[in-house]
Amino acid sequence: MGPPSSIKKKFLKKWITGLQICSSSKENMSLFERKKAIKLSADVAMASARNATTCWSRALIANASKDDNNKILVDHILGTESERLKKASIGSVMCNNKRVRSKKILKKSCSFRRVKKMAPQMVLASSIAKRLVKKRTLVLKSLVPGGEAMDESSLIEETLDYIISLRAQIDVMRRLANASEHLNLK
Amino acid sequence: MELMEGNDVGFATCGDKNEEIGIESLQFGEEIQSLMSVPPETGSSFTALLELPANQAVVLLHSPESHEAPAELSGEVWRNGSIDHPKPYQPQSFACTPTFPSNTALLERASRLSVFAATENSPETTSIPSNSSATSHKVKQEPIESYSNPDSSPILSDPTVLNKNQKSTKRKEREKKVKGATKKIKNAVNDTSEDGEKLPYVHVRARRGQATDSHSLAERARREKINARMKLLQELVPGCNKISGTALVLDEIIYHVQSLQRQVELLSMRLAAVNPRIDFNLDGLLAAESGSLMDGNFPGMFMPPIWPEGCVNGNRQHYQQLWQFDGHHQPVWGRGEDNLNFITPANSLLSYDSSANNSGKLYSNITRVIVHLPCFSMSTEIISTSRKSVGLDYKFREHSDIVNCYQVSKH
Repeated sequence: MGPPSSIKKKFLKKWITGLQICSSSKENMSLFERKKAIKLSADVAMASARNATTCWSRALIANASKDDNNKILVDHILGTESERLKKASIGSVMCNNKRVRSKKILKKSCSFRRVKKMAPQMVLASSIAKRLVKKRTLVLKSLVPGGEAMDESSLIEETLDYIISLRAQIDVMRRLANASEHLNLK
Repeated sequence: MELMEGNDVGFATCGDKNEEIGIESLQFGEEIQSLMSVPPETGSSFTALLELPANQAVVLLHSPESHEAPAELSGEVWRNGSIDHPKPYQPQSFACTPTFPSNTALLERASRLSVFAATENSPETTSIPSNSSATSHKVKQEPIESYSNPDSSPILSDPTVLNKNQKSTKRKEREKKVKGATKKIKNAVNDTSEDGEKLPYVHVRARRGQATDSHSLAERARREKINARMKLLQELVPGCNKISGTALVLDEIIYHVQSLQRQVELLSMRLAAVNPRIDFNLDGLLAAESGSLMDGNFPGMFMPPIWPEGCVNGNRQHYQQLWQFDGHHQPVWGRGEDNLNFITPANSLLSYDSSANNSGKLYSNITRVIVHLPCFSMSTEIISTSRKSVGLDYKFREHSDIVNCYQVSKH
């Protein structure tokens, strides 16, 4: 079963706003610029459909609003709440960075190390497993927007939410693309 | 009101029960809407934590349809699994109802499970309609609290104050109880969550033969939390169910996320290629939409000739023509199908004045985005002023800000 239609509706609504703004901005855009504009508007629309309740959406909005080129677009998509959302996003991103750094400092300062006695093979196996998992979590963190600032459990939750939102986004975009292609063929 | 009912019928035929429920929730109003969107995001994983380990509780907790609106998001997530309609609200109402007995004697856990389920239904059904917005805040606060606290308290020095969701660990303990004899019980105070600010104590039980110091317990609770969420992810990502081992599952998840992101890129490329100006002149989208209409349905066959080619500005006349044409074909359609509903969110999608001469207007090249999605009804939410009606209404109103909304349901 796909993502719920409420998300899709919200996304589409905001995305259409963004697209309309895109179209009115420049006359001759190259393919790549158009694609970038479309993708950006879709992403921001998706993130704002989440109303900045999730970490990845906040990070997305923060990243998008950093770039001055996109300012108008982002503002319009975010709508009336744009100021509040942007502040919340940027604030939370900065908080996260600080939090991450302070956690690391604290962990280093904590000297208590518990000794676990295990057979040498088991030690090796478990350490290998841990390393593998650690590598993959790093990759996942790089994939999910704003992932670096999350601990494992919230990372997994964010991934969950992100996957659902991505699916909704893809669904809507695909339908739109199919329909407009059909139209152009006629 | 009959219009709304008709719409519901139309939606029901789409075959998606959650859609129907979602639409019903729209009727309840905006607060329900926010409930749908907000709590499941923060609470969905928690509900997973709660629901997954205890399937029978889910079934028992299954409450009437009206409460499934909040469950939309999480319901989607666990479609694949054996859970029909997980209730994000049900578990959260645990903490929200002060009458809920606290976890005292662990020996009665198994019997309590059914008791909980029985008692929950009644408080839940009463509490949800009245406290919907209130609980959403509490619900939201609790998970958020538990998010932030692990970050802020890196060292869990105090074993009795573990900043985790009490309910989730309680459920896990029910599982554990089956597994082995208990060695140690930590008493916890039940947080009634009237204020929602205090964090619940955690009730952690050590299994036989395991270390019972605070660190290992905390670590174990953390690990369990992570494992429960990983299970959720496994259910969501296709093909992960059979794989065992965290690293491989993570591999699959990463691959899945990457492929989704790639798809977004490809689709945006396609859209950019299709439209030289990012204007979605989609009058014909209704018919052109793949899947439903082009399958040779009556509506599908008639629609393409109706819409004129290419770039049409938001002309009312165009609309009139459109709908009049529809009217001719109505008898034909009427025979075959009971439910002919069309969705056309038009130019006044965002309440722009479509009657204005569009050449000078900012949005002149964006005519209409008409997206027909059979199982995805774009209703009043998207269209600022819209009118839903069953069947074809080809009377076109003069005012530009009225959009006729139709649904075509495929039979």
